[in-house]
Amino acid sequence: MVRFERTGGHYIYIEVQNIEYRVYFEENGGGIPLLCQHTAGSDGRQWRHILNDDEITSRYRVVAPDLPYHGKSLPPESIEWWKEEYRLTKSFFIDFLVEFSRALGLEKPVFIGGCMSGCLAPYLALERPDDFRAVIGLETVLCSEEVPLDFWDHPRISNNYKAAVMWSLMAPGTPEKYRRETMWEFAQSEPSVLKGDFNYYFREHDLRGKASQIDTSRVRVYLLTGEYDPVASPEDTRQLAKQIKGAKFVEMKGLGHLSLCEDHQVLKRYLMPILKEIAEA
Amino acid sequence: MTVVFLDSSKVERFQNAINNDAEFKLAARFMSEDVLLEVDDSRCIVKVRDGVVTEIKLNPPSSDHWSFSIKATAETWDKLLRPSPPPLYTGLNAGMIRGNLQITGNLEVAFAYFWAMNRMLDIMRQLQND
Repeated sequence: MVRFERTGGHYIYIEVQNIEYRVYFEENGGGIPLLCQHTAGSDGRQWRHILNDDEITSRYRVVAPDLPYHGKSLPPESIEWWKEEYRLTKSFFIDFLVEFSRALGLEKPVFIGGCMSGCLAPYLALERPDDFRAVIGLETVLCSEEVPLDFWDHPRISNNYKAAVMWSLMAPGTPEKYRRETMWEFAQSEPSVLKGDFNYYFREHDLRGKASQIDTSRVRVYLLTGEYDPVASPEDTRQLAKQIKGAKFVEMKGLGHLSLCEDHQVLKRYLMPILKEIAEA
Repeated sequence: MTVVFLDSSKVERFQNAINNDAEFKLAARFMSEDVLLEVDDSRCIVKVRDGVVTEIKLNPPSSDHWSFSIKATAETWDKLLRPSPPPLYTGLNAGMIRGNLQITGNLEVAFAYFWAMNRMLDIMRQLQND
């Protein structure tokens, strides 16, 4: 018997920082907009389980875009992007999400992101408090330690390196089928994209001196980190949460650094009470 | 604890297990490198030629050449090789991030074959807990 998902994909043209992008996104459900942003070096497929979860989509309009240069969102046609190294900036990342939300008519969405997108969550609360009702950061840290990036885009190191690196970022109990699927997605990015995303994650992300300025009476802030995360440990996120008055921190047992797609049933245990709280606010 | 790759009674079984593993064959199919594995002051060199482990040399002299090394303390290897490793010890990358495990030498080669080394660690873990 043929099976169809209710999740559908569309393309939309939006202008961000004076350049037009053709952006691919998938969506399902109705109600409060839930804007789901993928990690560095991957794409919106990471959200496929959340997009297809009836318990979530019955109350939330779940929308998952591919950032420009990721997944099915191609580089723009109007610039010679191939003449310079791809680099994601915090400024572009924030502007993209706000413009994308406006274009789709998402009214004060709930934002959720993992890894680099999780790190952006507090920035959205800080810099765009009128555009979001709540932010949920998965694997969020105060600031990242700068690391050498050259090996992340190297002519003699294939994308299998990126996939292999992700293996041990996930919890040992992660179902192997989802662990392998996650690795597959990381291996499919254009080789320079993960390194380019790390420009934000490892170089620009720094909430020191800023986190305490976030007003959670305007935007609710939830920070969730997996027990097995070696990049952003639960203790790292707990320290950040302490600096944001009113932020809620939850340690997620049985998950690692890629909690958005490792094991959605485990993620749901932690996510559902938060989505219920937001819906009933 | 004696790790499987330093145990003279198990090292042949380890070599055979790697060479019979379908995923390792795929990941290492272009690999011809010597990998130094270190546990505290004990060491061995895993010699790989065209994706096949041709020799595991226990206690090699320091004059032996190798391409890259994977080094950790006995305590760290114990955690890495548990059936369900604890947080921060779930694999090579997790160990490197928090400084519990070091990969030195030719990092370009090490990272080119990171998938193969990941798989080798998983095979070690299986044999360690048999």
